[in-house]
Amino acid sequence: MSPEPDLPESGRRGLDPDDLSHPPGTLDTRGAHNATHPTPGATSPRKRRTVLAPLVSGALESRHTRPSDRRNSLPERIALAALLALPLGIALVGPFLPVPERDRTQPFDPAAPWPGTDYLGTSVLNGVLDGGWGIVVTAAAATASAFLVGLPIGLIAAATRRRWIDELLMRPFDLLLALPSLLLMLLLASIAPPTAWMLVLIVALVNLPDIARIVRAAALETAHGPAVEAMWLQGESWWRTSIGHIARSILPTVAADAGVRLVGAFYLVAAASFLGVGAGPEASDWAVMVDVNRGGIFLSPWGVVLPAALLVALAVGLNLLFDRLLARKAAA
Amino acid sequence: MLAYAAKRIGLGAVQVLAVAVLAFALVELLPGDAAVALAGDQPDPDNIERIREQMHLDEPALARLGDWLAGIATGDFGASLVSGRPVAGLLVTALEPTLILAGLTLILLLPLSIGLGVAAARRRGRWPDRLITTFTVGLYSVPEFALAVLLVSVFAIGLAWLPPTAVGVPSLLSEPAVLVLPLLVLLARPICSIARLVRAGMIEALDSEYVAHVRRAGVSERRVVLAHALPNAVTPATAQIARTADWLLGGVIVVESVFVIPGLGTALVDAVNARDLPVVQGIAVAFGATTVLVNLAADLVAFRLAPRLEVAR
Repeated sequence: MSPEPDLPESGRRGLDPDDLSHPPGTLDTRGAHNATHPTPGATSPRKRRTVLAPLVSGALESRHTRPSDRRNSLPERIALAALLALPLGIALVGPFLPVPERDRTQPFDPAAPWPGTDYLGTSVLNGVLDGGWGIVVTAAAATASAFLVGLPIGLIAAATRRRWIDELLMRPFDLLLALPSLLLMLLLASIAPPTAWMLVLIVALVNLPDIARIVRAAALETAHGPAVEAMWLQGESWWRTSIGHIARSILPTVAADAGVRLVGAFYLVAAASFLGVGAGPEASDWAVMVDVNRGGIFLSPWGVVLPAALLVALAVGLNLLFDRLLARKAAA
Repeated sequence: MLAYAAKRIGLGAVQVLAVAVLAFALVELLPGDAAVALAGDQPDPDNIERIREQMHLDEPALARLGDWLAGIATGDFGASLVSGRPVAGLLVTALEPTLILAGLTLILLLPLSIGLGVAAARRRGRWPDRLITTFTVGLYSVPEFALAVLLVSVFAIGLAWLPPTAVGVPSLLSEPAVLVLPLLVLLARPICSIARLVRAGMIEALDSEYVAHVRRAGVSERRVVLAHALPNAVTPATAQIARTADWLLGGVIVVESVFVIPGLGTALVDAVNARDLPVVQGIAVAFGATTVLVNLAADLVAFRLAPRLEVAR
C-alpha cells in the first residue's frame, strides 16, 4: 500500500541522463547506448548481450549503460489487456446485461447449470455479473475523495512559511499511521452505520495520511526552491504561487501516486466487504459472495472461485498496468 | 544515537497513548446514547442498564478516560459485554495462534524475499528476472482473502493435499500441514514489496564502482555478491520490513477469518460484528502498541546502520 518502494527506483531512472534521450524498451536503443559508451575491455559492443553489460567485470560505464528493466513485448501486452479487460468489463457492463431469469432452486445445487447456485439458490452468474460494479465504484470514489482532501492539506503544509501550521496539519497523520490500516477501518466501521457512503468515507480517511505526506514531500522541494522565493519577493499572491506554480509542479508525482492509491483502496474495499463491515447486509459484491458462499465450497466451488478469481485478476492487472505507466513516465 | 533514540522513544510513547485515547473515543463517537447503541438487537431496559453500569457510562467522560488509561497501565482492559469475561484474559488466549502465524511469517520472509531479490538482480532482464518481477508486481496488493480461497479450492479441495481450515486442531504447531496455506497467503504481499526493494538495491550495488573494483581485485563472484553488494542492497529494505508489521497484523485478521484460526484477528472481527466495544478497544490497543514498537525498533536499527539518514521523517 505504500508507494515508497516505487519512488526511489523510478526516481533514479528519471535522473539517468541516457534514459532521457533514448526511450527504453527496444534492443536497438540499447545497442545505441553501447555505441556511445563503449565499455573498455569489451571486444565488440554489438556482439555482446548488452543486458549483461553491468555484470562484465571492470565495466565502469555500466551505470550509464543500464538497460531498461522492463520490455513491453506484444504477448505481454495482450496478456495484460486480457487480465484487465475481463474483470473490468464484467464489473462495468455486467449489471446492464440481460440475464435469463431462472427460478430459485436449492442452495449450492450441484445439478444446476454452470456455474451453479449460491447460498440462496440463485444462479452464481447473476451475482458475478452484478457484483463488480460496487467494488470498483467504491474504490474509485474513495480514492478521488481522499485526494480531494489530502492534496490541499499536503500543499498547504509544504507551502506555508509558518512551521506550526505544518506541524498542526501533519502530526495527526503520524498518529493515524501507527495503526494498521485494516484495523483502523474495522474500528471506524464498528461505530459507523453500515452504508455504502460510509465505506467510501472510511477508505478515504484511511488513505488520507499517505496521500498528504506524499504531496507534502513532493511539494516541499518546489515550495522552497528559487522560483518560489523569487515569486514571493516579487509579491505574487499566495494563490498564484501555491496553486499556479507549486501545485502544477507536483502533478506528475500525484498522477503516479493515484494509481498506487486506487489499487490500495480496491484492496481495502474488498477486504472490508469480505469481513462484513461497511456494506449493508443486502449488498452482494464479489467479496461478499466469497464470504457467504464459503460454506458450500465443497458442493459448488464456482460460487467462490469465480468472484475470487475476478478480484485477483483485477488486482494483478491494475498493479501491472500502473507499474508499466510509472516506468514509462519515469523514463520519458 | 542516544539523543535520537530518546526522541524516537518519546514519539513512540505519544503514539501508544494516542492509540489508547482513540480507542477510548470510539465510545464517545457512538451516535446517541452509547448504552442504547451498544445494546443493538436487544434494546430491553435491563440490558441497557447493565451496559451502562458495566462501562460506567453515567460518569463524566474525562473520569472514564483516566480510569481507562490507568486500567491499561495495570493490564486491566475491562470486561466483554457479550461473555462477561475480562478482556485481558481473552487477549492472552487469542494471542498464541496469532503470534505463531506472525512469527513464522517473519522468519520465512527475510530469506525468501532477499533470495528472490538477489536472484532477480543477478539475472537482470532475462526470463528469471522478468518472471520474478512480474509476479512481485502483480501480487503486490491482491486481497488476501481472494488469494486464500483460490489456494484452498486448488490445494485443499481440488488436489486434497492440505486441510482447508484449522477447525478442530488443538494447537497450530502440532499439525504443521494446517499452517502451509495461511503462511503462503500471509507471505505473498510482504515478499513482493521487499523482494522488489532488494532487487533495486542489488542492481544499484552491482553497478557501483566499489563492486567493479572488488571484481578487478579477483574476489570470487559469490563473495562479491554476498559480502560486498548484499549489505548495501538490504539497507533500503529495512524501513519496509517495519511496514510489514502493519500488513502482517492486517493480513492476520483476514487469514484467521478464512482459515478459522481462533486468534486475535478472529476475536476482533467477532467483537466488531457483535459491537462488543471493550474487546475491540483492548485488541486495538494491543495491535497499535505492537505496530509502534516494531516501527520503533526498525527505525533504531536503520539509524544504527546509516546514522546520517534521518529516518523519523
